[in-house]
Amino acid sequence: MSQTKHSMGPMAPSPHLRVSGIHKSFGGVHALKGVDFEVARGEVMALVGDNGAGKSTLMKVLAGAHIADEGEFFIDEKSVSVNSPHDASDLGIQIVYQDLALCENLDVAANLCLGAEPIKPGFTFLPRLLRPLDDLAMEVRAQEAIDRLQVKTLKSVRAKVGGLSGGQRQAIAIARAVGADGTVVMLDEPTAALGVAQTRQVLDVVKRLRDTDHAVVYISHNMRDIFEVADRICVLRHGANVATWTKDDVTPDEIVGAMTRGLDSEATNAA
Amino acid sequence: MQPKNKVSLIARLRSMRETRFGAFVPVLLALAAIWIYFGLAVPIWDYWGDPDAETLRFIFLSPRNIYNLFMQSAVIATLAVGITVVLLLGEIDLSAAATAGVCAALLGVLVLMDVPAPIACIIVMVLGIVIGAAQGILVAYVGIPSFVVTLAGLLGFQGVMQKILPTGNLNVGDPFVRGFARVLLPDAMGWALGILCVLFFAWTILSKQTQRKARGLELDNKVAVWGQIAFFGALVLATVATLNSYRSVPLLIVLLIAITAVVGWITTSTPYGRAIFSVGGNPESARRVGIDVKRIRVSAFAIVGLMAAIGGIFGASRFGSVSYTAFAGGSLLLESIGAAVIGGTSLFGGRGSVWNAILGALVIGSLGNGLDLSGAGAADKLMFSGAILLLAVAIDAISRSGTSER
Repeated sequence: MSQTKHSMGPMAPSPHLRVSGIHKSFGGVHALKGVDFEVARGEVMALVGDNGAGKSTLMKVLAGAHIADEGEFFIDEKSVSVNSPHDASDLGIQIVYQDLALCENLDVAANLCLGAEPIKPGFTFLPRLLRPLDDLAMEVRAQEAIDRLQVKTLKSVRAKVGGLSGGQRQAIAIARAVGADGTVVMLDEPTAALGVAQTRQVLDVVKRLRDTDHAVVYISHNMRDIFEVADRICVLRHGANVATWTKDDVTPDEIVGAMTRGLDSEATNAA
Repeated sequence: MQPKNKVSLIARLRSMRETRFGAFVPVLLALAAIWIYFGLAVPIWDYWGDPDAETLRFIFLSPRNIYNLFMQSAVIATLAVGITVVLLLGEIDLSAAATAGVCAALLGVLVLMDVPAPIACIIVMVLGIVIGAAQGILVAYVGIPSFVVTLAGLLGFQGVMQKILPTGNLNVGDPFVRGFARVLLPDAMGWALGILCVLFFAWTILSKQTQRKARGLELDNKVAVWGQIAFFGALVLATVATLNSYRSVPLLIVLLIAITAVVGWITTSTPYGRAIFSVGGNPESARRVGIDVKRIRVSAFAIVGLMAAIGGIFGASRFGSVSYTAFAGGSLLLESIGAAVIGGTSLFGGRGSVWNAILGALVIGSLGNGLDLSGAGAADKLMFSGAILLLAVAIDAISRSGTSER
């Protein structure tokens, strides 16, 4: 863990979300062995590692989908506990899974407001589920979310998601995760299935998230994307931290080396 | 030249399907085709083919026949509306007709035992809800595929119905029950209701348009807005006029429309309805945003149960009797599933509308009625129904293949 500190240098911004000493086992498999991780507002933190390094597990722990066996959570250096996805979203931690989970049969506005639809005032004699939707407020809200992320190619919030491109869908999934009060957004391989133009669109959205003072965790295998958007890069290997670098202090080759071999050479040098 | 045109036609069909009103078009076209065939083509063909014929006789399109057509389709439509709700979830209910049969049989027995008819109706509706919810619990919480659960229900409830009606037939003479199908609205009241409906429809659409303008949202196409209003108005008023020119608007049809309006409103304009569509479209998505998917499933099955019970009451009212063959043992189930599917509701969930189910029921009803009039046998009817069902699903598949595969 000392390596983390040393590689980060004095420039590291004060973290918004910080976890330390996270342990997580699944049966006999020790997936996370005391991982430290942090991300600040207005920063894109890339999380990289080989398959099975524990990226997804860490992300699910952060999102409350898995509960850590051990470890501490801090938001703005205040200790908090995350024991369910609900806790995480109350703290403003949102996750965009790789499969996006959008409803293709509904339009953009409906997808963005799903589960929290605005309803018309009055009608208090009805249970909330049966009160009339305020679909115009829904469109307004969706339009605001889309504008905030500057998804320029999207023509109408009334378009069905089924007819949109991969990049647009990713942007909508991100917009839904961010919502009105998300502060930490975690993206799992957001460009994995996208072409060049679509990737560009998603990266623009990610930058836009950083510019609007969100803390972004970006999981990817694509070094080019990472070096384009990330401010810092955190490398995991075998369920433990290898190091965290600021982007300018490191090259893609070093990252790949750290992912696959760890920092043996450096470790031996130090010893 | 030709293939290019064809592609643009399909593309246009697809884009049309995406609008709320455009989804009606295929089923309306099917209905128009059937009506033109039986209403105009067959009589003209007979007239030409038969030198002895004195005059053209448009039996199919006569007000009397259209009145009968509506009444014949009403029970199918009631069940189809309920089945549409589960189809939206991506589930299926094979037991709806058997449930309707059990409910109708129980209604008959209760009325025979001198239970006041309104109370008997309520008991039967509660029974429908319980049956539906029980099946829904088996599907959602136990995790048995709905096909299996409701297939078991189909078989089981057929048996239950036979147990309740050992003779297979029971006359229902109660004036309250018979009233649903017998009471006719006075002509003036029919007109008033029709005009009110049209005005209300126009008001909702126009006020939404002005609100859109006020909030700076994109506006609907003006032609489309007025086209919708004109089309809806023409449809409603023509129906009222036709029904009035034979007898008048029957209570049964008014009730059917009112129930469908309520179910339609719930499925399209409430958070609950949104939840149904999202579970049908992508259950994982619904789960992640905190929708209780299991409870939604159970409630949807409860709605089918309720609609089946209402269908049973309507059926008992219209036939004046409860018989095994009219409900559980007959073709009612497949006709009502067929009606929902012909209406354009996807079997894979997430797409469809209860209003289309009514039109689908009219398609099935018209087909049966038309074939009856032209003297076709039961065998022809079955084959034609199969062909129409296939055609409807094919149109559906072609018109939406663009969006589902990407």
